[in-house]
Amino acid sequence: MPRKKHVSVDIPEVPPALSAEEAAARAYEHDKPLTKHSFESHEHPIVRIEHLNKSFDETLVLKDVNLDVWPGEVVVVLGPSGSGKSTMLRCINLLETPTAGHILIEDEEITGSGKTDVNKLRQNLGMVFQSFNLFPHLTAKENVMIGQTKVLGKTKEEAEREALVQLDAVGLGDRADFTPAQLSGGQQQRVAIARAVAMHPDVLLFDEPTSALDPELVRGVLDVMRDLAENGGMTMIVVTHEMGFARDVADRAVFMEDGVVVEQGLPENVFDHPENERTAEFLGSIQAK
Amino acid sequence: MTQRNTSLARRMAQALVACAVAVSMAFCVGVALAPAGAQALTTNKATARPNEQGGDGVIGGENTRLTWEGTVDAGEQVESITLSLPEGASFDGSTTRITVLEGLNRVSVDGTATPAGDTLKVSFATPIPEGSLLRLEVTDMKFPEAGGDYAVGGSYVNQAGQTEALNDSPTVSVIANTPLQRVVTWLDGQAWVSAWNSNAFLGMFLKPQLIVTSLATLFPGWLLCLLIVIVAYPFAIALGLAFAFMKMSRHKPVRAIAIVYINVLRGTPLFLQIYIAFFGLPMLGVNINNTILGIVVMAINSSAYLAEIFRAGIESIPVGQYEAAASLGMNRSQTMVSIILPQTVRRVIPTVTSDFIMSYKDTSLLSSVGVMELMMFAKNLTTVSGNITPYMAAAIFYLIVTLPLSKVVGNIEKRLAHAEKGTGPRPKTTGEATENA
Repeated sequence: MPRKKHVSVDIPEVPPALSAEEAAARAYEHDKPLTKHSFESHEHPIVRIEHLNKSFDETLVLKDVNLDVWPGEVVVVLGPSGSGKSTMLRCINLLETPTAGHILIEDEEITGSGKTDVNKLRQNLGMVFQSFNLFPHLTAKENVMIGQTKVLGKTKEEAEREALVQLDAVGLGDRADFTPAQLSGGQQQRVAIARAVAMHPDVLLFDEPTSALDPELVRGVLDVMRDLAENGGMTMIVVTHEMGFARDVADRAVFMEDGVVVEQGLPENVFDHPENERTAEFLGSIQAK
Repeated sequence: MTQRNTSLARRMAQALVACAVAVSMAFCVGVALAPAGAQALTTNKATARPNEQGGDGVIGGENTRLTWEGTVDAGEQVESITLSLPEGASFDGSTTRITVLEGLNRVSVDGTATPAGDTLKVSFATPIPEGSLLRLEVTDMKFPEAGGDYAVGGSYVNQAGQTEALNDSPTVSVIANTPLQRVVTWLDGQAWVSAWNSNAFLGMFLKPQLIVTSLATLFPGWLLCLLIVIVAYPFAIALGLAFAFMKMSRHKPVRAIAIVYINVLRGTPLFLQIYIAFFGLPMLGVNINNTILGIVVMAINSSAYLAEIFRAGIESIPVGQYEAAASLGMNRSQTMVSIILPQTVRRVIPTVTSDFIMSYKDTSLLSSVGVMELMMFAKNLTTVSGNITPYMAAAIFYLIVTLPLSKVVGNIEKRLAHAEKGTGPRPKTTGEATENA
C-alpha cells in the first residue's frame, strides 16, 4: 500500500472580502460593458466570487477567480476540460470547499467562517448535474416532490401540485408517474431541472447539462433552459459547450482556462472577436466539431 | 404369701390375656393385610404379540394376539373367567384358545368365549381344577387406538358361584395408532414397498415408511429452525445496519470497534461461536434458555455478515445521489433515510436473501448443543431406526425453504438488472465530472 503523501500546498494569501457597497460599485463598473443585463439602481450582485482558489491535493485548479453575477443574469461559462469551470460552479453551493477566497450570496459570506447553514444555503442554489442524478427509486413526480416535502416542509398535496406544474413546464406532465429508468436522457434532465426549479431557488447552477445527452435530445433541454431564462427571469450560471444557446440566451460569456477567467464579455463579442488567443483557439476547435 | 401368690397368678393371667389379644389381633391384621391369600386365581402375565411390521411394538387399533396366564390356587376351581381391558379395546371378532396345564400334563378343557366389546367372558364346560395353569390366547383382538400402558383385569367365578376380582396383569405397552401409523401400516403391506426396500440403497436412504415417519417427527424441529432464524434475522438486520454505519463513521474508535466486531465474527466458525456461548455462559453462571441463546448467537453472527453487505450496498450508491440530495438542501440523515437507504435496500435484497438462506441452514449447528431443531430430530430418529432416511427427510425440510428463496433471489436479480438499464450514463458520472473540473 502506498504511503499517504504529505501534501502541502501553498494556500494563497487573499485580501478580506469587500464591503457590500464597495463590491457592488466595483462590480458595476467592471461588468457594465460586459453583460446584456439591465442594471437597476443600487443593485447588488447576487453571487460574488472574490479571489477564489481551490486545490485538489497539490494541484491548484482554481487560481484567483473573480466573478460577480447579477440578479436575473444568465452567465455562460466556457472553457476546455480541466479548466476549473465545474469546480467553480460546485464551490458556489459548497459541493466543493474552497481552499481560499470568498464567495458571497446576497452579500452573505458562505466561505471560511463555518457559520453557514449549508443546507439552508443550498435550498437557494438549485443545481442541475451533467449526469442528471435523478433518484432512481422515485417517479418523476416524486423526484420533484421530495425536496419540497423533506426540506421546505410542504404538505404532500402542495408538493404534488407544484411538481405537476413544474413537470408541465418542462413538457413532461404526462410522464409524472414514470421512473427515471423509463425516461430518455433528455426527459430525465428536464425532470432534474423541474426538481431544482420546484425549490424556487434564487440561482440555478447548470453543470454541463447537455454533455451526457445524445445530440437529438439536447434541444429539448436547451428549450427548457431558454424558457427559464427568458420568461422565468431566473439567475443562471451555466457551464456548457452549447454555443448557440450561449449566443442566444446568455447575458454574458465567461471563458476560463487553467483555473483562471481568461476573458469575459457579451457573448457575440467573445465568440466573434475573442481578444484572447486561447479563447479563439478553443472556440475554433468547438466550432470545427 | 398367699396374697403374693394371688397377685402373681393374677398378673400371669393378665399377661396371658394380653398375649391372646395380641395374637388374635395380629392374626386379624394378617388376614386384612393379605387379600392375596384369599386370591384363588392369580394372574401371572399378559402379553401381546407385536403387530408392527419390521418392529417389535404393539399398535393399538390393529389386530394382535393377547396371551393371558393365571394359576388356579389350591382349594379353588374356576367356572368362568372374564378378561377386561380399558375402553377402546375390542375383543369383538376374536377367537380364544384355552390351554390348561396341571403340572406338566395338558388337561383338555372345553369352553365358550363370548366377546363383548372391551370384555371377554370364557365359560368352561368343566371347572378348571385347583393348582392348574390356565392360559388364554385371544387372537384378533385390538388394544385401544390411543396407545399407552394397559393392564388386563377382570373377574372369575369359582365353583361356589362366587364372583371374585382378578388382580391386574403387568401392563402391555401399546403404540398409539395415529393416521400416520395407519399410513405406515398400509405401506408395510404394500408389495412395491417391500420391493423398493429390498434395494440396499433405497431401503437405507429412502425407506418409504421412514420418510413418512420422519416428515412427521421432524416437523417440530423444522418449525424451531424457522422460528430461530425468523426471530434472529430482524435483530441481525438492525445490528448489521448499526455496525455498517459504525464502520463508515468519521470517528476512528467507533470504526475500530466495528472492524473488530465484524472481523472476529466473520473470521471464526459459527460452530466455535456456538460452543463458546453455550458452554461459556453457563460457566459464568448465566443460564439462558437454549432456544433463546441460539437465536442470540445466530443474530450476532449474521449481523457481522449483514454489516458488510449493507456497507458495500451503501457505498455502491453513486456520489451523484448524495450531491443531488445535498443540492436540494437535504441534511445527512434526510439523505440517508429518503435517498440512500431505499436504493441500498433494493441492491442488497439478493445478497441478504442469500445470507438468510445460509443462516437458516446454519441453525443445524445448534443441534450440537442440544437445541431441538431439525438436525437433532433427524439424528435421534436415525439412531433409533439405524436408517439414513431421516437425514434425507431433513434435507427435504431444508430444501422446501431454500429452493423457493433461491428462486426469488434469481428473479429479483433479473428485475434489478432490468431496472438499472437506462438510468442515465452512470459509469461516466463520477469519472468525467472530476475530470472536467
